[in-house]
Amino acid sequence: MWKTIVRRFLIMIPQLFVLSVIIFVLAKFMPGDPFTGLISPQTDPARIAELTEKAGLNDPWHIQYMRWIGNAFQGDLGLSYTYKRDVADLIGERALNTFWLSLLSVFILYLIAIPLGILAGRYQNSRLDKTIVLYSFVTYAIPTFVLGLIFLFLFGYKLEWFPTSGSVDIKYEAGTLRYYWDKFYHILLPSFTYAVLGTTGIIQYLRSEIIDAKTMDYVRTARSKGIPMRKVYSKHIFRNSLLPIAAFLGFTITGLLGGSIFVETIFGYPGMGQLFVSSISSRDYSVITALVMLFGFLALLGSLLSDIIMSIVDPRIRIE
Amino acid sequence: MKKTKWSLVALLLSVLLVLAACSGGDEEPTTEEPEETSTEDTTDGEPAGEDSGSLFEVAVTNEGEAIEGGTLQVAMVKDEPFQGIFNWELYEDGYDADLMEWMTNSLFEVDENFMITDEGIATLEVDQENNKATVKIREDVKWSDGEPLTIEDVILPYHIIGHKDYTGVRYDTAFQNIIGAEEYHAGTAETISGLKQIDDYTLEISFKQLSPSIFYGGDGLWTYAAPAHQIADIPVGELVESDAVRKNPVSLGAFKIDKIVPGESVSFVKNENYWKGVPKLDGVVVKVVPSSSISVAIESGDYDIVQSFNATKMPEIENLENISILGRPELYYSYLGFKLGKFDTVENKVVTDMEGSKMGNQQLRQAMGYALDIEQVSEVFYNNLRERANSLIPPVFEAFYDEELAGYTYDPEKAMALLDEAGYEDVDGDGFREDPNGEPLEIKLASMSSDATQEEIIAFYLQNWADVGLNVTLTTGRLIEFNAFYDMVEADDPEIDIYMGAWGTGTNPSPSGLYGEADPFNYSRYTSEELETTVRAIDSPEAFDTEYRADQFKAFQQHIEEVANIIPMQFRYEIMPVNKRVKNFSFDYADEYTSHLHELELVAEEPVAN
Repeated sequence: MWKTIVRRFLIMIPQLFVLSVIIFVLAKFMPGDPFTGLISPQTDPARIAELTEKAGLNDPWHIQYMRWIGNAFQGDLGLSYTYKRDVADLIGERALNTFWLSLLSVFILYLIAIPLGILAGRYQNSRLDKTIVLYSFVTYAIPTFVLGLIFLFLFGYKLEWFPTSGSVDIKYEAGTLRYYWDKFYHILLPSFTYAVLGTTGIIQYLRSEIIDAKTMDYVRTARSKGIPMRKVYSKHIFRNSLLPIAAFLGFTITGLLGGSIFVETIFGYPGMGQLFVSSISSRDYSVITALVMLFGFLALLGSLLSDIIMSIVDPRIRIE
Repeated sequence: MKKTKWSLVALLLSVLLVLAACSGGDEEPTTEEPEETSTEDTTDGEPAGEDSGSLFEVAVTNEGEAIEGGTLQVAMVKDEPFQGIFNWELYEDGYDADLMEWMTNSLFEVDENFMITDEGIATLEVDQENNKATVKIREDVKWSDGEPLTIEDVILPYHIIGHKDYTGVRYDTAFQNIIGAEEYHAGTAETISGLKQIDDYTLEISFKQLSPSIFYGGDGLWTYAAPAHQIADIPVGELVESDAVRKNPVSLGAFKIDKIVPGESVSFVKNENYWKGVPKLDGVVVKVVPSSSISVAIESGDYDIVQSFNATKMPEIENLENISILGRPELYYSYLGFKLGKFDTVENKVVTDMEGSKMGNQQLRQAMGYALDIEQVSEVFYNNLRERANSLIPPVFEAFYDEELAGYTYDPEKAMALLDEAGYEDVDGDGFREDPNGEPLEIKLASMSSDATQEEIIAFYLQNWADVGLNVTLTTGRLIEFNAFYDMVEADDPEIDIYMGAWGTGTNPSPSGLYGEADPFNYSRYTSEELETTVRAIDSPEAFDTEYRADQFKAFQQHIEEVANIIPMQFRYEIMPVNKRVKNFSFDYADEYTSHLHELELVAEEPVAN
């Protein structure tokens, strides 16, 4: 198994290399450059041309690419054109925000989805089951921004239970307990929004797995041995039904850094989703490439993690 | 089967939810009169637009006993984090400038015509004969950390901007007008030779050539100070990432930075050393608020003033009782441009080719201007927060704006008459006019994409043109993304015959840079001897005579109107919602709140909710 993992890591190198070439070329294909946005009667076209030249944006793409990859190997991802900051610092700051938000989201998501999925599967066709299925379809159908706005309006402004925007209130001193609590308080509502909308997949998977499992031989055997139904569910069916969900766990973990543009925009939360979208529209090449590389690496890592997790929870599966 | 049913139910439910959200929302049914705010306009707040019914207050008093201290809550409407470059020489984003206004390092104050006055920290004396300007600072001014302001602080910015490692846009042709700036930039000189320190409080600057722009902070004059004692030792290339710019900049304004949450909010406290006196407020907190929830936030009384409020959201807040909505004309115009030539990148000049251009016929261009029902678009889509423009100089510039200019108003009859006269007639009976040679005429319009309304508006304009028999279609078949749009327009893409653009003029409305012969931004690629002479005259030494300059401005506006290479489309208003607890607040350019921040007061402990 260790051999396989090492091999998988080695394969990632050419994969990421190809990805970097593709994203680099595609980014350059986009019309405009980081300086297009500076056009105004107050700016001097000659100065813009000078800046473009200085930034090396007039060189052929392969030269720019070699320069970029050379720096990247030395750990220098360049400076963001928009934010004028080190790309690694910038992404690090946003990634941290996104990480906490996503972590809480995933936690709440499982907290809601797993019990609902189990109940729906166990009491198939009951009124409870129908309500849960209805719930999961409704949440599946609602666009994120609609539910986000509804929650914000209801819980943020009308009931005033939660703060309405940002990641922390400026009045708290960084590092104090109150500060961290406030940070947590700020991500509650966005992560709840995110979680409510993401439950459908897990509920449906769990429900149908449980329904399938009910007719399986091992369940009949367990029942015939006289094991109480409650135990059959908790010990036998539940464990088996979780397999497909475990299969996604790797992606879920690495997906924590992806961020969501909608949730971030509605709740004014500076995260990765927004950074990615705004870097594209402002042609902030260094940020775009760094982010795509990061997302690409996380996706590869996610699939590897999923395979490893599967081999742990399901002994029938071997990764060789 | 079963699944489709369920999804239908789900869909219905979600629609219900949306509807519920809307009805419970912030919108009272809007009344017919969009502005019922009482208009006790102060003196010159009246916009000059002739046919616009929308007038705003530009100032609000809100009587009442002021509370001791208090913190002003400011919302900055923005859907992304701010950049946070707190340095006047280095910042690029307008939002950073908005933040810096609270602690500004501005040396000068300006009057209602945006000309530098003697009221600020520094005074400006111009020696026109010798192309010299003298900047003299007050002697008793201190930085927010208590250090005295010296002339070094005034000189330093020039050496930052001119430095070879400086990566901002401000090292431009205007800056190179300072004698010695180019040598310093090239690294052949240690300092800029045109800057001469006379004494501890006086700086003399020598220029190659002076124009009236100097009185607006142009020609290379820099109007901000930089805290030399804090940043002089930081290499220019590293300045933008330094804490002195990002976290704890020292400043001269009424407030100073206390804390920053990167990208989200900034809290300012009063600057005890402020040269005009200790501010009455304890502090100011500015917070980024997403545009989707700003209206509800205003209704809930979360904020005292709201910056960058999008005027299209006006209907959502116009009936709120807890705020006053202040408005003023923006330094902006949008326009329709006709491609009349190319830009010669070798010679670096505009080459106009009237005969060879599809849009070369003057009557055709004029007809296209008359055909557009911009009046209706302003009313229906923009609630009269925009109005049809008659000129390329926004009316705010009273001294230069030609209010008698007729401009192009909606007149389809006239448009058709002009087209008939010019020989554009429908010969094949397909409903569209052919060109005078009988060839089919298809005009390609390039327009920028923005929100969904933009699509509707453009569709409406296309219909306007179709109504007078012109076949106008979209370049690339759809609206074009901002970057791509300017790439194509700048490259004189053959797929573009006409385009719709806009300019924010800044406080110096001079057309040089946009309509000159050597200007790449002269996108319509039209120039003529007359135009070039006028554009140059506006910034010539003779133009130090204000009357002469005004005449030249009028000549410029009239020339453009007649040639119609550019047809002005709209002027617009910017609005600022102000909570009822803010005492004495003005949004008037002549008397803006930013020039007396230390006098701001509040009349209640918390902002008023609706």
